[in-house]
Amino acid sequence: MTAPAKVSLLARLGGWVRAGFEGIGRGARFVRETLRAVPDTATWWPHASMHARVLGVDSIPIGIFIALFTGIVLAMLADYSVGDLVPPYFVGTLVQKTITMELAPVLTGLALAGRVGANIAAEIGTMKVTEQVDALETLAYDPYAYLVVPRVLAVTLMFPVVVGAAMVVGVISGWLAALWLVDVSTVQFFKGVRLFFTEFDVRYGLVKSASFGTAVSLIGCYAGLDARGGAQGVGGAATRAVVLSAVMILVLDAFWALVWLTGRTLQ
Amino acid sequence: MSGKQRVNDAVVGLAVLTVTVVVIAAVLWLNQTSIGDTSDKLYARLRDVGGVGVGNEVVIRGVKSGRVDQIALGDSGWVVVRLALNDNAPIPSDPVVLFASSSLFGEWQVTVLSADGLPKDRELRDAVDAARGAGDTLPGALLPDIAQLTAVAGRIAGDVAEVADRVRIAFDDDAAREMRSTIRSLADLSDELQTTVRKQSQNLDVVGADVQRGVKDLSQAAALIDSVARRVDASTNRGEIALIVSTVQAASQELLAAAGQLRTLSVDVGRTQVQLERAVANADSVFTKMNRGDGTFGLLVNDASLYRNSDSAVVELRTLLADIRANPRRYFNLRVF
Repeated sequence: MTAPAKVSLLARLGGWVRAGFEGIGRGARFVRETLRAVPDTATWWPHASMHARVLGVDSIPIGIFIALFTGIVLAMLADYSVGDLVPPYFVGTLVQKTITMELAPVLTGLALAGRVGANIAAEIGTMKVTEQVDALETLAYDPYAYLVVPRVLAVTLMFPVVVGAAMVVGVISGWLAALWLVDVSTVQFFKGVRLFFTEFDVRYGLVKSASFGTAVSLIGCYAGLDARGGAQGVGGAATRAVVLSAVMILVLDAFWALVWLTGRTLQ
Repeated sequence: MSGKQRVNDAVVGLAVLTVTVVVIAAVLWLNQTSIGDTSDKLYARLRDVGGVGVGNEVVIRGVKSGRVDQIALGDSGWVVVRLALNDNAPIPSDPVVLFASSSLFGEWQVTVLSADGLPKDRELRDAVDAARGAGDTLPGALLPDIAQLTAVAGRIAGDVAEVADRVRIAFDDDAAREMRSTIRSLADLSDELQTTVRKQSQNLDVVGADVQRGVKDLSQAAALIDSVARRVDASTNRGEIALIVSTVQAASQELLAAAGQLRTLSVDVGRTQVQLERAVANADSVFTKMNRGDGTFGLLVNDASLYRNSDSAVVELRTLLADIRANPRRYFNLRVF
């Protein structure tokens, strides 16, 4: 390899590192600006309920739909896995633990990352490329307070609501599947559900889902505000928002497991 | 506030409220939390609650009668547990509380039972006795769970393994060979003993048969004797014995006379023997002389020419007799007158 080629490779590597740190820095700056805009309630409060409805309430059917089938599959999978080795009421235990602590938050989060993240990124991106954001600034509106904060707060609030509904539906569908498809009685199923149930299970899932909502909405807003060019830029922003949101959901899932489950044992 | 915004607010509020209420209700139901609780409260104290947690079942005589309501650390190393019993749940007399694992899968339960029903385990009873004396607080104790039992079993298994190692060291190849040799010798000895026993058994069978036969003979003899005795008895009764005795007396007298005659005869025989000896001696002397050729007989016996002459004389005599028969007139001339 010639000396100029080596220099070029090193320069490219340095460019990647610098771009990475720039991304982190821009993201940190974005979060800081968002936090700074939170006290401006007069700007974001009137729009929060509308975003909560569009991004949250309208997403509840998606969460319920996912949880419905997840509960059925989990009940049958639990029965298949435990077989005759352990008492049948452990089907209830497995369904409850898996739904409340993992699948309801993560699957719903991933589904909403597509719906909500893409929605936010496309909407704000369109405003950005059509210079509506610039117009807001011209009118002395803080785009963070007007566009970002209500969406982030609405999604952060509504994600646990959607996930909570998914938890309830998932356990109920698992119960019905156990009752009709697996031949586990209601008493046995709920004995298993209660056996190792603690309110921590629900708290863990809801807090995790709130963090997912925050991440998805922040990434969506960031991608939208970062959109460049025309419609192509908006599409790219939506795609980036979905991909980054999905990755961030999985990263946060591992993060919460490390923070809350390390060294914690079930009694 | 516009109408659309109000609708949004209402919808969001309704959704949030509904989901929140449902989730909270589900959590309370799964935790078996009762609102407006009217259950009876019992307190128990013990040193360690093991795996028992809030919400675990409380059973009385095997029937679910409540749940663990609260667990708190107490003074002097005690743990105080509050039990929420169902209304009118019957409390046994002299109640004690046992905390125990109810299955191999991590389930725990609390049992309220009478002190008389405690397992006969000294340490358990000591633990219950130590927990007494706290007023209305019931004494409690923790039964070891499967993990502790497994640990004890593990220690026992270790000890057994150590003993097995020692046995393995002591029982080396030489010991095994000697053991095999001993076993083989024992087998041979056993065979010999078996043979001997079989033979002795056969002998014993024979002896037994002989004894049986002897006993039978004895029995028959006894029967015969009995019969004879009966006959004797009968004979005695009919006077036959007296007749026999008199007959025997006569016979003995005749025998006595015969003996006298035999004695006389023997004297005569002795005398005849002397005469015979003498005759034999004389004959012996005569024969001796004859053998020597003394006298007429000696010559006759020992001289062959005399024999031949006699034989020719006999032949001539026969010829003469034949001639006489054939020609009697030659020799006899019979005249009457």
